[in-house]
Amino acid sequence: MTHLVAHLYRRTMRKGRLIGLTALSAVPAVLFPLLVASGLESAELSGTYAGVVTGAGYTFAIAALVISGGVLREERDSGTLPYIYMRPYSRFKLALASVTAGAAAASTLGIAAWALTVLTGLLVGAGPSVTGSGITLFVPAAIGYAAVFVPLGYLFSRSLLIGLGYVLVGETILAFVIPGLAQLSIWRISMSIYASVADFGPDSVAGLGPIAPGAGGGITKLAAVLVLGVALLTWALRKRDAL
Amino acid sequence: MTATVEIKELSKWFGNKVAVSELSVNFSPGITGLLGPNGAGKTTMMRVVAGLQVPSQGSVSILGKDPRTDPEIYRKVALVPEDDAVYGHLTASEFVTLAARLSGVDDIERRVVDAIQLVEMSDSSDRKLDGFSKGMRQRIKVAAALVSGPEILLLDEPLNGADPVQRARLIALFRRLGDEGRTVLVSSHVLAEVERMTDQVVAMVDGRLAAMGHISEIRSAMSDKPRRVYIETDHTRRLGSALLQLDGVVGIELDDDRLTLQVTDAQGFARGIPKILADGNYAVTRIEPTDESLESVFRYLVEGE
Repeated sequence: MTHLVAHLYRRTMRKGRLIGLTALSAVPAVLFPLLVASGLESAELSGTYAGVVTGAGYTFAIAALVISGGVLREERDSGTLPYIYMRPYSRFKLALASVTAGAAAASTLGIAAWALTVLTGLLVGAGPSVTGSGITLFVPAAIGYAAVFVPLGYLFSRSLLIGLGYVLVGETILAFVIPGLAQLSIWRISMSIYASVADFGPDSVAGLGPIAPGAGGGITKLAAVLVLGVALLTWALRKRDAL
Repeated sequence: MTATVEIKELSKWFGNKVAVSELSVNFSPGITGLLGPNGAGKTTMMRVVAGLQVPSQGSVSILGKDPRTDPEIYRKVALVPEDDAVYGHLTASEFVTLAARLSGVDDIERRVVDAIQLVEMSDSSDRKLDGFSKGMRQRIKVAAALVSGPEILLLDEPLNGADPVQRARLIALFRRLGDEGRTVLVSSHVLAEVERMTDQVVAMVDGRLAAMGHISEIRSAMSDKPRRVYIETDHTRRLGSALLQLDGVVGIELDDDRLTLQVTDAQGFARGIPKILADGNYAVTRIEPTDESLESVFRYLVEGE
């Protein structure tokens, strides 16, 4: 199965796309030093960093959608899906390998986005004690988004549009209007994990909505999303036409 | 001979479009040609047999197993898809190695070299697939299919894009694979191409089984079909009455400057017409058979039209 994961990961991480999506995910890394340079007290650095990565981090959600949603969709659209589908793996293993590859690809982007905030933070005097915890936002989000977007990409030809609707409308607007929807937001679940280790400012806490900060609850929710995502994809691979 | 691939009352539809309709056919070791015009349902049938598409009705079994529920069968089945799709960023060798790894075969290095040698592409094994011609891509797809040593090989239009020399070599390879006792199913819309590989054919039209058996039976059915021939001339009436003297001309329609003939003996017609044209000194600007396509031939087999 490792060969399959490695193949899907390499295929997804094309150079040109990686540069573009890293640039998209780097918005917080650009915003943070600009805000600090505009005259913040050093005591506010942690809260500002948390506000920037949780607020502007939606650009990473879009990058995660593009990269993980393409794992199986691109194989199908380009006609190469038979080369991975017609192999002696159970459909569960194929689904698990696809979600794993999607999570690895999105995590690579997430780590790059976070690392850039660390670098730009250093330029304005914000050390790892301020920016280091950011990884606990980006990596869980990457895994959660892959669990949602890999099956979405396989199931729907307009998965990008649907995914954008989920990120831009569902997670940002509807989750505020309908509190129950916040529990289904990957970004907020990831924020709850981040909030348990970072020095959150009041604005960032408000952004959580009805979700309580806590690594345990967040990880449990992400695990549930992961199980559901793999199960849905396994079902789709068994029951739906592959081409 | 024991059937290795069994298709029972298979139907496949997409919305209102029926791609395959109540098809029942078995395939045994050796080569079988799957013939039919474009849109006949050959690719859909191949995909269903390969487990890539779910039957709307009916069933498919390969070596007694359902490819949809038993992926282990993919150790024994390989498909060369019709799509011109390969991983362009990989070299030929990497592409075949990937197929071997994903199939879980042993002794990968040797088998990759052997498979690439079989399709005579050793010289290009380190080149990226992006730079390959269509014919070269077809051959490397065949190598990727063969690397796992499948018992059943599904080849969907495998000669598309190959030049005449490549075609001849691929045909020889497919024949050898059939002789080795593998079940080789080759689809094509070119009768002459299939004829060079095998004499066992299954013909499909509009998703249905049109004919099955020895190729000579198909040939014989085709030879009974009246052909339509257009002739453009300034002397439609005189030439028309002269051509009616030829054996095999069974009907004639006159237009301003065009004759449309119904001919049952195409070869006799081809032999007789030069003399008639020369004797009468007729000026003819065009002679053209109008319904020589395989589609019209198969439609005739199915519908008698």
